[in-house]
Amino acid sequence: MDLNRLSQGQMVAAASAILLFIFTFLPWFGVSGGIISGGGVVTASKNFSLWEIENPLDIYLFIVILVALLPAVMTLVGGGTDGGGLAGMATALLGGIGTLMIFYQLFDHDFFGVGFSTKIGFWLGLLACAGIAVGGYLSMQDEAGGERY
Amino acid sequence: MTSRLSQGQLIAAIGAAVLLVAMFLPWIGVSGPSLPSGVSLPPGVSGAVGDTSENVWKGSTLDVYLLITVIVAAVPALLALTDSAEEFSFVSAATFLLGVVAVILVAAWLTIDFPDGAERKIGAFIGLGAAAVIAFGGFRAMQEEVAGEI
Repeated sequence: MDLNRLSQGQMVAAASAILLFIFTFLPWFGVSGGIISGGGVVTASKNFSLWEIENPLDIYLFIVILVALLPAVMTLVGGGTDGGGLAGMATALLGGIGTLMIFYQLFDHDFFGVGFSTKIGFWLGLLACAGIAVGGYLSMQDEAGGERY
Repeated sequence: MTSRLSQGQLIAAIGAAVLLVAMFLPWIGVSGPSLPSGVSLPPGVSGAVGDTSENVWKGSTLDVYLLITVIVAAVPALLALTDSAEEFSFVSAATFLLGVVAVILVAAWLTIDFPDGAERKIGAFIGLGAAAVIAFGGFRAMQEEVAGEI
């Protein structure tokens, strides 16, 4: 497997996609609370990975991961074809929206109610998804023959 | 005004308008215990029992994604309304892609991610249909663009 066949954008997108997949299994959200019992306060907390919450974000990010990996896999296995300009566009578009959707969780977490907090997986996932968007954008630049930033 | 739109762009724009309306309709309902006859509740707690419905803006990430899909699908129509001469070659492909992903997300939400004990409401099904219409419109617009280049 010759990784040199991948463009810079494809490599960034694929690496970010692999990292995002790993990060989805880390704690993303936590809830904590306390009750008064016998004159003392008993507190409890629970962490949730991305897959443990009833939210379409997990399925969406899984689609983003597949779309980001596909051009790299096709280039490595198929020997050159990378889906044309649409592959980079799709990766950048879905990755950008994914980043926005993750960030939006800070303001829209009705499913947890009070005591909600974000965990390390959330912030790492946010960075990885932004990496996918950047990789897609670089792929578009590569495919258009423009300059890389 | 609409004559400047291709058939696919028009279909996608109609789907976007329907989806936007559907987002404000009930998507999920929860049935609570009913009160015995003759029992009344104090003011301010009447919503605690009985049937309650919520639209897609409450408690789901779907809202922001569907809103972006609506905007992207409506871009060609909005440009025609403002008499803009701009043409974006990627808009049809983006509309198709976002429409397909929206269908997957809404279908998954209705099946895999749907809360236990809750009831599926009409807005969710109209939203699913509208997302499919957007995807079809985007696909049709892509076909028309390719045919126009030949």
